Amino acid sequence: MPGVRLAARLALADAAAEARLALATLSGIAAVLAPLIVLFGLKAGVIDSLREALVQNPRAREIVNQTNRTFDAAFFARLAARPDVAFIVPRTRSLAASGAFARSADSLSAFRGELLATAAGDPLLAGRPPPVGRAAALSATLAERLGVGEGATIRLRVDRIVEGRRETLALDLAVAAVLPREVFARDAAFVPLPLLLLIEDFQEGTIALPVAEIDAPPDPARLYAGFRLHARRLEDVVVLDRVLRAEGIEVVSQAEEVAGLLALDRSLGLLFVALAALGGAGYSVSLGVTMQASVERKRRALALLRLMGMPARGLLAFPLTQAVALASAAAVFAGAIALGVAAVINRLGVAVGEGPIARITPEHLAIAAVLTVLGAVLASLFAAARAAAIEPAEGLRDA
Amino acid sequence: MSVLALEGVRRTLVSGAARFMLEVPSLVLGAGQGLALIGPSGAGKSTTLDLAALALAPDRAERLVVAGVDAAALWARGAHDALAALRARAIGYVLQTGGLLPFLTVADNIALPQRLARRRDRRRIVDLAERLGIAAELGKWPAALSVGQRQRAAIARALAHRPAVVIADEPTSALHPELASGVFTMLVAACAEDGAALLVATHDADEARRAGLELRRVVPIPGEARSIVEAEPLPCPA
Repeated sequence: MPGVRLAARLALADAAAEARLALATLSGIAAVLAPLIVLFGLKAGVIDSLREALVQNPRAREIVNQTNRTFDAAFFARLAARPDVAFIVPRTRSLAASGAFARSADSLSAFRGELLATAAGDPLLAGRPPPVGRAAALSATLAERLGVGEGATIRLRVDRIVEGRRETLALDLAVAAVLPREVFARDAAFVPLPLLLLIEDFQEGTIALPVAEIDAPPDPARLYAGFRLHARRLEDVVVLDRVLRAEGIEVVSQAEEVAGLLALDRSLGLLFVALAALGGAGYSVSLGVTMQASVERKRRALALLRLMGMPARGLLAFPLTQAVALASAAAVFAGAIALGVAAVINRLGVAVGEGPIARITPEHLAIAAVLTVLGAVLASLFAAARAAAIEPAEGLRDA
Repeated sequence: MSVLALEGVRRTLVSGAARFMLEVPSLVLGAGQGLALIGPSGAGKSTTLDLAALALAPDRAERLVVAGVDAAALWARGAHDALAALRARAIGYVLQTGGLLPFLTVADNIALPQRLARRRDRRRIVDLAERLGIAAELGKWPAALSVGQRQRAAIARALAHRPAVVIADEPTSALHPELASGVFTMLVAACAEDGAALLVATHDADEARRAGLELRRVVPIPGEARSIVEAEPLPCPA
């Protein structure tokens, strides 16, 4: 398309010759675009910070039942099969779920801690291997109190009163892992389900001492007092919370916080779209008018080009090329301004959770640039059509 | 062999309630031949030029041939880009005030028809500029040139792509009379030298005659909104 290439070159030469006017037009586009990019960066920063704070903490996706009930294996199988459930594990009755931990068998000081079941895939393990057999993953606080780390062996003691006599079950547990601090704030040990069941059975007096060396797998007919469930995504927490409550199960979750965040995300998104649409539409109209005025001003030159044999598509390309060039330059300009403003905002020290409050990614910039150029093309289509319709005879007249 | 032929060409212009019809019974130019259209303002000189320049569609044309191409057929088909291509290849234009594009240098302005005709020839630009005495102005912007220099640059541009026909609409009317006759002579000489047919509209019959052009009158018919381009040249006064 030699006509188009030549027209594009002429259009650029024209814009360069009227550099001041081009700069003004470009600044106009950038003046609308830069605040929008900053605004979007702020929305992304605020929402992402809040979301990450929630997402990074697997406990945000945790749902546990409140009062002791009886749940059978079918209940667990049914929930585990749901696509929105990432992990589910039984809990024993809350009274039974604790023991005394000591640094070693002959240590005098002991600390009470909760006992919770865990298994492979538990988000609370945060990628650490699950404890197997006589082993436990300790919460950060309990590991600190005991002064032990991964690989140590600790002593767990659980008491029961049988016929007025105190009996103690003492077990040596290998520390398979220490959980990150933010995952679990209380003193707790996460153990394999068979081990937890052994302790529960001991406390209820259904088994006698000494216990077997190897814990048997759980009886399929066994009933559990509760569960600990982790939703796959943050959004799923809200749904699962509702589903479980609908089944008459009282649960504790962060559904409200999550729902609040999602609502905030939606509201901010809507606000942003509204602002972007208003700003973008306003500017598109303005750019369209500018381009049309430019075509009218250059009518004489365009008619002359037509007379000299420029094909119609070349005339079409003239304003389009200018619009694309101006919009592209404006997008680069606006991107630079927005990044600068975002850097200043992030230095103000206003924090919402983790991370910078204004977050502008290369993707945001690319999308902004593409939308701006598309908008500019659309805005100048009318001007281009007018240019293409200019009669060659106009070029011969000087009036 | 003719390079420009209008025979039995007619065009009616409508402006509001006013109608005006122009008839060109026969206007034929051979290579290197020069012809000046003369007549009062509003007689139809410009309309005749528009028709010859392929800038205005005829209502009727028995024959409209430019550089061997049947332009009447192209108009009839509405082949506007084919007409544009023919204009680009075969016709050079000189306007009243030059019509140089302000955003291109003089050299780029002269190169423009070469680009449109896809006939790049850098040496010809320099050659034309030397012949027309504007070699030193090639790198300048049109705004930096005098009116006379601009008009000479426009002549160079009209000839840059070796067109068969050059069309000039009052090419010297914007110039000082002293300057005008020099530029007019230059235009006629340059076309003759390159073998291009020259069709020029002018209000100054004497100047055209002095430059050696054949004169053709555009005559309004009294009482009718109609003009005719005479088929015979105006005889030289004795």
